[in-house]
Order: sequence, then C-alpha cells, then structure tokens
Amino acid sequence: MEYKVALGPQHPALHEPISIRMTLDGEVIRDADLKLGYNHRGIEKLAESRTYIQNLYLTERICGICSFSHQTCYTQGVEKLMELVPAKRGLYIRTLVCELERVHSHLLWLGVAGQEAGFESFFMYTWRDREVVMDILDWISGNRVHYSMNTFGGVRRDIDDLQKKKILDSLGLLQSRTEYYLNLAASEPTFVGRLAGVGKLSKEKAISLCAVGPTLRASGVPMDVRKDDPYAVYDEVPFEVCTADSCDVLGRAVVRVKELIQSYRIIEFLLKNLPEGPFKVKAPRKVKENEVYSRYEAPRGENVHYIKSNGSDKPERLKVRAPTLANYAATIAMLKNGFIADIPLIFAAIDPCICCAERLVQLDDARRGESQILTFSQLRAMANERYKNVNFKKKDIAWPF
Amino acid sequence: MNPETIIEKINDDIKDKIQEAALTAPRRINVKVGRERLNEVLTYLKEQLGFTHLGTISGADLGESFEVVYHISNAVTTVNVRILTPRAEPKIPSVCAVIPGAILYERELQDMFGLVVENIPDPRPLLLADDWPAGEYPLRKDWHFNRPAEIIPGGE
Repeated sequence: MEYKVALGPQHPALHEPISIRMTLDGEVIRDADLKLGYNHRGIEKLAESRTYIQNLYLTERICGICSFSHQTCYTQGVEKLMELVPAKRGLYIRTLVCELERVHSHLLWLGVAGQEAGFESFFMYTWRDREVVMDILDWISGNRVHYSMNTFGGVRRDIDDLQKKKILDSLGLLQSRTEYYLNLAASEPTFVGRLAGVGKLSKEKAISLCAVGPTLRASGVPMDVRKDDPYAVYDEVPFEVCTADSCDVLGRAVVRVKELIQSYRIIEFLLKNLPEGPFKVKAPRKVKENEVYSRYEAPRGENVHYIKSNGSDKPERLKVRAPTLANYAATIAMLKNGFIADIPLIFAAIDPCICCAERLVQLDDARRGESQILTFSQLRAMANERYKNVNFKKKDIAWPF
Repeated sequence: MNPETIIEKINDDIKDKIQEAALTAPRRINVKVGRERLNEVLTYLKEQLGFTHLGTISGADLGESFEVVYHISNAVTTVNVRILTPRAEPKIPSVCAVIPGAILYERELQDMFGLVVENIPDPRPLLLADDWPAGEYPLRKDWHFNRPAEIIPGGE
C-alpha cells in the first residue's frame, strides 16, 4: 500500500518555504517530488532597474545566513567587469569575513544536526559558541547578519590592532571548544550511529546531479571553488580541501567539522599576514559592455552570479544560483529508499536555509482516506521514538577522527 | 591540463561543430554553438575533458533573440557554452540526457523566458505562482511589473 505525504510548504516563521511530496511504501520513501517558488521575490528582475552600488545591498539580502557570500560573489564579478584591481588589505579583510561567516554557518549547522538527531545539549553548546563568532563579526562590521562590508575596490571598514587581538583571543576559545566537540562526538556512539548510513548519495550520483559544497565533498569529490578557481586571496592562503568517503550524513558532519578547523587556521594566517596600505580604491560608476561568470565557495557550496553589463550604470542581467538550489536534485536522490523518520536529518544535512523553523506535515492515509496534520517537532519526536531502542553500540561505527 | 591546452583540444577535435571558441578571462572559455549541436558538444566536453559540473544555465533577452549560456566546470576552468534562439521560435534542446542535474535550471528558463525546452523530462512550472497568468514571462525585457492599485478596505 502506498501513502502520499506532503512536507511543507508554508509556515510564517520560514524564510524559504519548500514543499516535498513523497510516495511511501510503509515507512520507506519510494519517490519524492519538489515544489519551489513559495517565496519568489523577483530579485533578478529588480536588479536590472538598480545601479551597481544599489545592487550591492540588494544581493546581500538574498540570504540571511550567507549574506556575505552573495555580496562578495556579486562584488568580485562587478570588479572584473570594471577591470578594477582591489586593494590588497581590502581583499584580506574580505577573505577574513568570508571565513568568519563559514565558521558561524557551520557551527549553526552542527547544532541543527545535533537537534535533529536528538542530541539537544550539543545544539545548545554549538549555538552558545556561535555567539563568539557573531560578536567578532559585530566588532568588525557593526552588524550581526548583514555586514555590508564590501564595496567595489575593497571593503568599507578597516580593522585595527585592538580588533585583531580580540579576534585572535576569541579564536583560541573557539578552537579549544571545537576540539572538545570532536572528542564528545567520538565518545558518544549513539550520535555517530544515528548519522552513519543515513541519506546515502553515491559519488557518481553526486557528480551527475551537480551537487555542491559539503554534500558533494562528503561523497568523496574534492571540489572546492577556493582551490579550483581561487578568488580574493585564497591563492596565497595555505589550506586543505576537506572530503569524506562515507557518502552519508556522518560524512557531511565530518567535512564541516574539518572545514571549521581549516577556517580557524585561515583566519589566523590572514590576521598575522595582514598587509599595510589602503583598504579600498576608487571605482568607476559606469561599466562597459561585457559579461562575467563569478563563482564563490559559500558555506553551503558553490554560489554563482552571472552578470551582463551594457555600458550604463545598471546591469543588463544578473543571474543568481544559490547553493541550496543546486543541492535539491541530490536531496531527492538521498530521500529515495530512506525512512520517513530520517527526513529531518537528511533535509538538514544539505543545510538548507530553513534550519530553525517548524514545518507542517500532512499525512494522508490512503487506506482510510483520513488526513493527519503533524508539526515538524512531532515528526522529530517520531524519529527519536523510532531510534530510541536501537543499540548503536552493536553497529560498531566509529567517529572517523 | 590548463585553459590554453583545453581550448587547443577543443579546436582540434570539434572545430566543425562549434562556431567559435575563445579564452575571455582567466579560467573562462567561451564556446559558441548552434542549438542543434549543443548536446554533442556538451557530451564531448563531459566525456573527453571532464567537464561534469553544470553551475547553472543563464538566459538573457537580446531583443530579436534569446541567449542561453550553459556554465560547465571542471577542476581547472569553466566553459560558457552559448546558444542563440530566435524570439519567434524560442526552442532549445534539453540537456538532461547528458547532465541530469540540469532539470531545475531548464524548468526555470521555461518559467522566466518562455523558452520551450524540447524533450524535457519534467515540464511543470518551477518558481512562479500557481495562478500566474499564462504567456507572461517576467525576465523578458518587454515585461514590466505594474503594481496593482492599492485598495484600502473600508476607505474612499
């Protein structure tokens, strides 16, 4: 007997509503279908009627968590169209904010993964530590969410020695806490056992469905825009591309934890090698006719802006492809043949921008023709109930560090 | 492998299938093809040169025609494969047989520009609202947003 289950789409607290309609055979998902567009805002059309400078602040508002990704991707694209060489110090500060954003996003994700797996104290710990990064971003830019740091030719605010020292001090704290989490996760077999083997995505599937970011790297593909197509100062900074071979949610967690450690190293390097000099250069207002394909490694994966200019002070066309869109096709592949109890975990594992909210799930019982409305928290409780009596120690899975 | 050798290889192997290939920026190659040759060229790039990752498909309204750009990347460079399709007959071939991950981008093109993607596995609308009027394509240059007049309930 097959059931149809609809996940989503609407909840007032969501900023990215999405609807997934699944065909179930018992508890196993046989097919999944996606419906997007509940929050289509027409930003690409709007960008065509605004100047390049105005679009800086428009692109920043595409996303709340990776606001700096979109703004930087757009800024460096327009800088290439302007044939402008940005100030070196500005590029270092820009890269610094990029990495700080990655740290806050990954810490947020770790917490969400902990919560979806029923490890709620982990969620409390990581979100407490995320405040440290948020405070650093606040010191640098004056804002916690929309930093407004970029401008054409560099950044808008310099950092001084006191800020540098404060960031380095806080970084030590973050580093020691992250190491503590590594040990905590390693000594907690239920957490590791809950994540292992869930949401399988083979290497071939991940490549053919054009997945990006940690989702792709957890399937063993070492693709990272920072290495493949270096922007800002990533060609001068030493770091490693983090991958995992387990192709499941555990792999995605491992990749993100490894990336956190790499990010701390990058931040330390940037602060210790910050060059002297101006932090921005003057940029022209008009841009001659050309086009640019700008790539950026956001915390969730490759972010793409395609900008076409027409000689005026407004772009002819701005095309934005956020990393979550690229991962949707892969998510459907992950959901197939998984359990309904794993939906929250699989969906959270691609780190969609819908982490912290409740969702409505309508369960249609095809046999009885009755509908039952479940909230996301009830679904999570169902998942925890299902896995409560599983003896993870028997599965003998170790934290791969 | 670097961008220069890739462009040499493209010119050696499939010169008769493409209209133009040029290095436009560091790590960016521009390839122009006719729309009927698109799948052949993408298959060649994927199988011979390892261009497996489709970043996105961008459309642009050029007035008389539409430009569609397929951005595909490998570990060292990105190729922008570009086709033109006339406004009177806005048809493009589907590339899902070569790159399955293209489906969402092709559906987006159908919504936004009114292009007809031939042989698309799933032709449903993707982004626009369910009650969006047929025949209106928001990213075409002749489409303008007219804000409906504000009605104040109980007002004048």
